[in-house]
Amino acid sequence: MARPCAVVGIGQTKYKRRRDELSLDGLVREAALRALEDANITFADVDAFVIGKAPDALEGVVMPELSLADALGAVGKPIHRVHTAGSVGASTAISAAVLVESGRYDTVLTVTYEKQSEGNATWALSGGRSGGQGAGGTFAPWIREYIRRSNAPEHIGWQVAVKDRQNALKNPYAHLHLDDISIEKVKESPMLWDPLHFLESCPSSDGAAAMVITSEDKVSRSPNKPAWVLGHAKRTEFSSFPGRDTIRIQAGMDCAQALYDKVGITNPRKQIDMAELYVPFSWYEPMWLEGHLIAEEGEGWKMTDEGATALDGDFPVNCSGGVLSSNPIGASGMIRCLEAANQVRGTAGDYQVDGAKVALGHAYGGAAQYFAMWIVSSELQPDFS
Amino acid sequence: MATQLPDIDFTLEYPYTRTTGPIMGPFLTGLRDGRILGSRVGDRVLCPPVEYDPSDGSTVGPENLVEVGPGGTVEGWTWVAEPTSKHPFDRPFAFAQIRLDGADTTMLHAVDAGSIDAMSTGMRVVVRFNDERLGSVTDVHFVPGDEAPEPPTVDADAEPVGIMEHVIGVRIREPLQPHRKRFLEGLLQKKIIGQRSPADGKVHVPSRGYDAINRVAMSAEDDVEVEGKGTVTSFTEITPIQYHGQTETEPYIRCSLLLDGADTTIGGVDIRHIPIEDFKVGMRLEIVWRDTISFDDEDNRGYGLNEGVYERWERTGEPDVDPELVKEHNF
Amino acid sequence: MAFEPQENDIAIIGVAQTAAHARFDGPEVVMIMDCVNTLLGDAGIERPDVGFTIAGSCDYLSGMPFAFVSNVDGMGAWPPVYESHVEMDGAWALFEAWLRLQMGDIDVAMVVGSGKSSPCNAREVFHLQADPYVVAPLGLDPDALAGIQARALIDAGKASEADIAGVVARSRAAAASNPNAQVSGSVSVDSLLAEPYDMAPLRAHDVSPKADGAAAILIARRDRALELSDNPVWITGLDHRIESHHAGLRDLTDSVSTRLAAAGAGVADGPVDVAELHITHAHEEIILRDALGLDDSTAVNPSGGPLCGDPVMATGLTRIIEVARRIQSGEASRGVGHAASGAALQQNLVVVLEEGGA
Repeated sequence: MARPCAVVGIGQTKYKRRRDELSLDGLVREAALRALEDANITFADVDAFVIGKAPDALEGVVMPELSLADALGAVGKPIHRVHTAGSVGASTAISAAVLVESGRYDTVLTVTYEKQSEGNATWALSGGRSGGQGAGGTFAPWIREYIRRSNAPEHIGWQVAVKDRQNALKNPYAHLHLDDISIEKVKESPMLWDPLHFLESCPSSDGAAAMVITSEDKVSRSPNKPAWVLGHAKRTEFSSFPGRDTIRIQAGMDCAQALYDKVGITNPRKQIDMAELYVPFSWYEPMWLEGHLIAEEGEGWKMTDEGATALDGDFPVNCSGGVLSSNPIGASGMIRCLEAANQVRGTAGDYQVDGAKVALGHAYGGAAQYFAMWIVSSELQPDFS
Repeated sequence: MATQLPDIDFTLEYPYTRTTGPIMGPFLTGLRDGRILGSRVGDRVLCPPVEYDPSDGSTVGPENLVEVGPGGTVEGWTWVAEPTSKHPFDRPFAFAQIRLDGADTTMLHAVDAGSIDAMSTGMRVVVRFNDERLGSVTDVHFVPGDEAPEPPTVDADAEPVGIMEHVIGVRIREPLQPHRKRFLEGLLQKKIIGQRSPADGKVHVPSRGYDAINRVAMSAEDDVEVEGKGTVTSFTEITPIQYHGQTETEPYIRCSLLLDGADTTIGGVDIRHIPIEDFKVGMRLEIVWRDTISFDDEDNRGYGLNEGVYERWERTGEPDVDPELVKEHNF
Repeated sequence: MAFEPQENDIAIIGVAQTAAHARFDGPEVVMIMDCVNTLLGDAGIERPDVGFTIAGSCDYLSGMPFAFVSNVDGMGAWPPVYESHVEMDGAWALFEAWLRLQMGDIDVAMVVGSGKSSPCNAREVFHLQADPYVVAPLGLDPDALAGIQARALIDAGKASEADIAGVVARSRAAAASNPNAQVSGSVSVDSLLAEPYDMAPLRAHDVSPKADGAAAILIARRDRALELSDNPVWITGLDHRIESHHAGLRDLTDSVSTRLAAAGAGVADGPVDVAELHITHAHEEIILRDALGLDDSTAVNPSGGPLCGDPVMATGLTRIIEVARRIQSGEASRGVGHAASGAALQQNLVVVLEEGGA
């Protein structure tokens, strides 16, 4: 039966438009070596590897586990590669956890990455053809519909864009460090996909994120407090079908409910101390708060508006700066999971939420049809009553 | 006169630029400038050079780079009788594992030997520097023998190779799938053909050839025609992002339409004749067909109702539909 | 003697595959759909009875980033489902599913592998698996490295060209009884040796013909497996390992990773009646027989193997299916399914299947 597992090592690269000085090997090793060091182990201690990234066409390397195995110390060992579009980082974290929870492998190194500067994300999202609308062009119409249904005021998106970039100033790894970010600057930035302005959209980043996940009997080998994986869930629905609601998404609600049921959470707003949600376009903060049952339908924007999701609010969201501040597509979902672990370990530095014991890491992908989420805690069996 | 429907012939291509890092950078710079480098790792010299020791994963720095070659020994080979468009020669040649003098491991590269009879395991080969050198492994090739290469002309002002360029293209050639062919043929006749599911009667436009909800494939028997008239269910205005292959430059509206009689939406409908201030979810539009229908980029996956087919979508003048009624047809 | 499953042991309770088509004219989704409908129908279960679904495929093969997304249409995802995807052969999807069921909270999983190779030239896609800096720009594809490996095998005295041709002749003959094979027939070693070289010393027939195809497997934990199947096929071992991607750091004449995976899966713990090997080049059979420790008592590739039809991304899963079928039918008691990835057998997965006590 399932045995507990914990995140005992975390490693990230500095996220940047282009990491000039690194090869692909160098990029993944920077994150992997940091995670190993953080866990106080070496490559030799790793039993299995899981890597994840978004489409191969982003770098033009087919099935990169084949050409990266050496660089990750995986020769002679099992390695495999997960690909679930934008949600891949979180799916990979979950696969890594399963390797340990199944009882088969004790110590797993998991790495996700994207070296987007080698190719072009919009080109890839357009299937290599002209007239592509990018991810923003797909989501903007749904954001318009969310605004219509909820009557949310227009400044909510700008507010999220400012909050996340201000949080990023406290995160040395974040790509965007926009000292002068403000509501005015967001409003003045060019409109990309009405109503999304340039500064309400995620950057394109090079980066890698890594974790070491181990079984309970191995956690004492590592110096930091373990971040116990209390549970994880994934749900998928078709991208389009007659009658699909792309704003209040069934797979998103089902995923959250399954996760909360597994972990024993009955009041996510109160029982979860903070969340790293995959928000690549500003309005997805209120949309996911509702879509994952943290706020009632139509009320998500109010949490943003009243400051509940700020670093000092009662439900901080994206204290790391989130996807809006760093977006190496293949890694972004894992960064959410790893930042949740950072928080409950107390290792989130200047953007630490005081006393955070239970945190949610989340990612979505495709036409908002893939969902992958986990909850971590500093306690193996927290009391939720 | 309608155009024909050829097979799909599409090349997914991008000019990738790879930052080379602390080992590949000097290695590729070396190839451009006339020498081959390997890495000293412990008591071995590895070529190609590495960023890490393969035995334990520890980092190996550029201070370990040493020159090897220019000649070496073939320790393995194959003869390529019919080169692909990606190979370095368009005439038969050998790919070989070459252990350069001074190295303990072999490197893969191409030998322009002229004939399979000139190849043998254990033979000597030596590098040649190509006239055109860009800082890539394709800057060199190998030939049989030991005659030292002419040192290439080196540009004293050239920067070390920090970025390697590689145009990567994959060519896809396939026929249009049967349902897709019938859909496009319908458009040529100014008809919009969808498919009605035999399982639940829902009409899919354009159809993908199956009903995923009920997991049934559909056939020509399920084809139905729908009107070129429908309701806007969602939209945005796109400011085009420039990327390799992009031809759009000016902002335009892109919307989804629920055609009358259809249960699925057509996405990616580009509107350039209606200002965004006037554009609304619920608006009623109808197609104005082009006199001559053409497809410049048909495939098996897209929506297919593109601007080679319609001149514009025109307001019908009917009252707008309440957005509440189309809220489950956003996409 | 027969395997006695414990509570958390996993069995294959259903298999499905399409033929290996030289070209399938419809969407890949329809091939997947056929397999999924067959699995569910044969097992007598509904879609919601499957707790976890996972697929293997390759976007680049389809020539489109995110191509895998539409494949979910063939598997069913409404109401929403718990599913995942690996950008690898379906055999690695089976690896994840096998592990996931051992967590004990889910009883039934579905595994899919699929691909359409007909639209592209495999050499023009798969050379992109090679080192991006020092090999891929040369266009050095897996068939070229296979040619180098075959030469190395011959130079080492481990095989002759006639031995390699013999693999093709046996495979083609065996495929005559496989309705899903793409090529089959009786052909002599001499006639094969008379053909011109392609990637010398390999000839065109030594390279697997790429196909369009899909395959799927249903697996279940013990108690549910016994409810749903009269003859479940037990997975008694599964392991996979990888070697260096630098050919110069490998011994191409041996498959070290297969040896490690075979040891991890417990191949040598019992007799191997049948083995299906994911060979894309004929000489690989010689290397793998040795690495797996197989002798003449093992029937190797009785389906004809990939040399008679290679539905890339489903081929490894299909090998596992062919072994499972023969155990289900009583033809074999214990068998080995093998899957490979990367050039010249760089990565290898080994699964041991057995009939068991009910």
